[in-house]
Amino acid sequence: MTCVNGDVDDDAELEGALRRAAELLDPVPAALVEVAVEAFRFRTVDAELAELTFDSMAGTAAVRGPAQARVLGFGGQAAGLDLEITAAGPSRRVIGQVTPPAHAVVEVRGHTPVSVTTDALGRFIVDRVPPGPLSLRCRVGDVVFTTEWVTV
Amino acid sequence: MTIPDAPDVRACRVDIDSTGALFQAAAKGDAAAWEALVGRLSPLVWSVVRSHRLIDADAHEVFQTTWFRLADNLTRIREPDKVGSWLASTARHECLKVIRGSRRVVPTSDVDVLSPEADDRSPEQAVLDAEEAAGQEAALRRVWQAYEQLSDNCRRLLRVLMASPPPSYAEIAAGLGIAIGSIGPTRGRCLGHLRRLLT
Repeated sequence: MTCVNGDVDDDAELEGALRRAAELLDPVPAALVEVAVEAFRFRTVDAELAELTFDSMAGTAAVRGPAQARVLGFGGQAAGLDLEITAAGPSRRVIGQVTPPAHAVVEVRGHTPVSVTTDALGRFIVDRVPPGPLSLRCRVGDVVFTTEWVTV
Repeated sequence: MTIPDAPDVRACRVDIDSTGALFQAAAKGDAAAWEALVGRLSPLVWSVVRSHRLIDADAHEVFQTTWFRLADNLTRIREPDKVGSWLASTARHECLKVIRGSRRVVPTSDVDVLSPEADDRSPEQAVLDAEEAAGQEAALRRVWQAYEQLSDNCRRLLRVLMASPPPSYAEIAAGLGIAIGSIGPTRGRCLGHLRRLLT
């Protein structure tokens, strides 16, 4: 380092002042810390995790106008899920299909889980999904999997 | 294990071993370890989110998504010592997606000016203490206002650097998508600008 000690000390002191300023003026909201603590109870332990394999929002070319849908793909070992998310006023509409197409029960995870039954081709619609973190739990026959969390 | 109660006087980096140990305990189902992990690393996640200057609602959602993801991945993360970098990187990617989703980004944050609170019983020492505390608070507000005047690049880096306990350079690099080697020089330059704004 080319800094003399005085500069290094001054920098550390100024960084400390910034840290205290952030603690005073822009702290982590307490309610958010509680939500993160609670996440432990809602975590998926037994179910397989279906990872995000496609997201129309990823990549530099991604553009979404107000009326355009966001398309998401999730893949697990035995089954997966394709989703189309559109904004509907303040909430979201989720249209999906289980892959390969099969009858399934799909649950929107959260404090008050919402369950829907798909048609024979694995298709479903859930309306009035609040914006924020979204994960779905799917039961297809004996297979249960949950999707990775995304912000919608 | 003791956690220092005055983080501002300790210039040390996060105790990597114990963060890894907390993570491993949480992965085995220890709810108290999870809570301690959340307490320790929430400021880092929040700082990364804030450095991307999302509007409040988006910032809150990204913060939650980041922690929900970690909870679901507790048994899948291979390097417990790097859980801070994992969180920082996850938060960053979620921020970038939200920004691409054409939601609004905050131009500047405005700091409310608190009015000093009145104290009924006022022995001399209490008055002196209150004056000193008010003076310190005013000084911190001045620092914050100067910080708000810095360039986007400087604000981005310094906001992550402000996490408490101080993040490692690996965590900062993961949260900002920059090379570790660029952090030191940028930090020095930005703190220099800040100092000039304060004098």
